[in-house]
Amino acid sequence: MQTRTFAALLLTALTALIQPAYAATATCRQSTPNAGGSAEVAAAIAKFRPLLSKSQLAVFERPFDYANATHWSNLPVGLVPRTTLRLGDLDEKQAAAARRVFVAALSACGLELLDEVRRADDFLVPFDKRPIGWGAGNYYMAVLGTPSAKSPWMLQIGGHHLAYNFTFNGHQPGATPLFFGSEPIRFETQGVTHEPLSAQSQAMSQLAAAIAARPEAKLSGTFTDVVKGVFMAGPPGPDFKGGTDSNFPQTYPTGDADRGIKVGALSPEQRRLVRDALESYATLPGNAISAALLQAYESSAALDATFVGFSGSPDFSTKGSYVRIDGPRVWMEFVVQPAVAKPEDLHYHALWRDKQSDYGGEARR
Amino acid sequence: MRVAAAALFAAYAVTAFAHPAPNSIVRFEFEAGGARAEYWIPESELDYARAADPAGDLPAYLLRHVAAETTAGERWRVAIASVRGTNYLGHPYIVATLTLTPPAGALARGFVLVDDAVTHEVRNHRVFVVARHGAGSDLVGALQYPANRLAVAAR
Repeated sequence: MQTRTFAALLLTALTALIQPAYAATATCRQSTPNAGGSAEVAAAIAKFRPLLSKSQLAVFERPFDYANATHWSNLPVGLVPRTTLRLGDLDEKQAAAARRVFVAALSACGLELLDEVRRADDFLVPFDKRPIGWGAGNYYMAVLGTPSAKSPWMLQIGGHHLAYNFTFNGHQPGATPLFFGSEPIRFETQGVTHEPLSAQSQAMSQLAAAIAARPEAKLSGTFTDVVKGVFMAGPPGPDFKGGTDSNFPQTYPTGDADRGIKVGALSPEQRRLVRDALESYATLPGNAISAALLQAYESSAALDATFVGFSGSPDFSTKGSYVRIDGPRVWMEFVVQPAVAKPEDLHYHALWRDKQSDYGGEARR
Repeated sequence: MRVAAAALFAAYAVTAFAHPAPNSIVRFEFEAGGARAEYWIPESELDYARAADPAGDLPAYLLRHVAAETTAGERWRVAIASVRGTNYLGHPYIVATLTLTPPAGALARGFVLVDDAVTHEVRNHRVFVVARHGAGSDLVGALQYPANRLAVAAR
């Protein structure tokens, strides 16, 4: 019996070793198959609301309009103030109830990403001399509209390096825009090494390495950030509202030029790496939020018509390394930038947009 | 969108301060017989662009990549009055002052800006184009690859 147990453990360990990082994503998702249903998330919010004070409710509940929907950023709160419910201000009971909302909305991977990105922000606090608002407490949540099982509403969870924008009951499935990043890319606290974006960076890096030998996969130009990120404009001054998604809706490349190589021209193994990369992003929201999108992205016809391209180093060892998946509706980017706290280090930005269903198709000027 | 010009630049620059990929801003002011522009370009991004097109000095480079023309396609005369370096809130910028003169017979109240000084190379870079009007300014729009043309007009 002991031998059999040892053999099983050994097999498990070996499997873990030979499985690429993205396998963890699938495992995370399977652990929370029902997460993301609008009724389920609305029910968790209904239990959270009564714990909030009047003033907390006033910032937590907002109208579902263009300005509120597009108010997310990849900049710290000192530069782009978030005005919704600050997680760092919640008491123990409220924080526990908020977490139940996160559990209802996110896959296990998405929840882990939220925790890890906030840990990374906390790691930066000693470097924040100006200050610009790094820190795990400076992450926020809000509902836009009225949570229900049928009419459109949004749940926003985010801060400096994370923006979950989930739209329920919209015209389209609403998993995006979904921005995430990490600085530092790897760090140690209390003897534990953290790498918040390890699944996505490995999946995108492996994809870039797999297509690097194909000249048509190389994108022209230089990338110092994601291309379809937040817009550094808007009414400036004391009430500066720049650095948000105020440029939405985006326009996207058309035609075949300079978009990378078509997945239809890739080998089965390379196509598997494309799917792994897609899944490393698309499995962050709960299954009910993004399953239909992933199915659309991975349909044979859509996948064949999807472009994958890269620039810089496929192993992500240098700034400017960049990978993009550009399909009939999916748009996913991953870029390696110099760090801000320690410019000699690197930091990651990643973005997932859906060309048809950002904000569930419900955000209009 | 009417804004105070000073506050406008301050806001962009503060944003750049904490951002490893700052954007550019070009502010036009129309005057009798033409226009003047002050063009702030972050050195970090300009370095990538110049590496892809290294010929000549900076004024010559800018003149290859910044132009103005009438809606009928006639070129305005663009000259570089000065180029200086500055450091604003921790980030180094090149500040170029340009003068723009319309072709004979063309109105001096508007032109089509043709600009890819950074965007011909840096795919995520945006150039915010501002037109000053008396005490305030209008954000005319932004250019990002592959877009390199924007109509700018006096109010």
